[in-house]
Amino acid sequence: MSCGNHHDTPCVEVLSLMWVYLDQEIDEGHRIEITVHLQECPPCADHFTAEQLVQARLRRCCKEAATPQELRTSILAQIQAGIRSS
Amino acid sequence: MTTETKEEQAARFSRDVMPFLDSLYGAALRMTRNPSDAEDLVQETTLKAFAAFDSFTEGTNLRAWLFRILTNSYINQYRKQQRQPLQTSADDLSDGQLNDVGEHLGLRSAEAEALDQLADAEIVDALAALPDDFRMAVYLADIEGFSYKEIAEIMETPVGTVMSRLSRGRKQLRELLREYAAERGFVAQEVGS
Repeated sequence: MSCGNHHDTPCVEVLSLMWVYLDQEIDEGHRIEITVHLQECPPCADHFTAEQLVQARLRRCCKEAATPQELRTSILAQIQAGIRSS
Repeated sequence: MTTETKEEQAARFSRDVMPFLDSLYGAALRMTRNPSDAEDLVQETTLKAFAAFDSFTEGTNLRAWLFRILTNSYINQYRKQQRQPLQTSADDLSDGQLNDVGEHLGLRSAEAEALDQLADAEIVDALAALPDDFRMAVYLADIEGFSYKEIAEIMETPVGTVMSRLSRGRKQLRELLREYAAERGFVAQEVGS
């Protein structure tokens, strides 16, 4: 899993922080360390790319669906009815 | 503070909430896994939201507020109907275990490209096959792009639990995709080396 080269931040640490980095939940210090690491470590960069590819595909497939028109109409009608009954 | 008439409130609701309808319906579809339950869930969510619209503070996170109502309604009502307890037993992972999970993912871009050949329906099926709380966490993070803190509020659970659900859910999802790809004969092409 490692490229065999020495890094200031070990691969195992970078990979353990992969999702907090990709989810942009990481602190600034670690973010910089990982960004530097990814520039010098192709195997780790490849893992990150792979996960982003799967995530992007998942988002395209499962993102919002068109609300059926009857549902939209029924919700609006119920809001109107709610006003009248109050 | 000016008092809003019911008509004004309904107008504000239509203007502010209705634009989120497609994304609420999309989430409901992935949670309930069938269009009829998804419609009921969205209907229930919008009615509850309208009834509680007074308590929503304008300028705060409306999208997260709506998703919280949606998620709670799903957990309370639809889960009860299915008579299945919410799967939470596997939630508590130590940091070491979390790191382990991250390490064993080991997805390569060549393999991700092989997974990408799967049909949309197969990707949707894989998400649908995840346990409820994993599926919700993955949906809220990966599809809706909510932050850990927002998901914690939506699911009413600590941030650590969100991270554990996400980690396990993502791992299971990839395992399923690998199985589907293997069944279909899509194999990762080894590059170089």
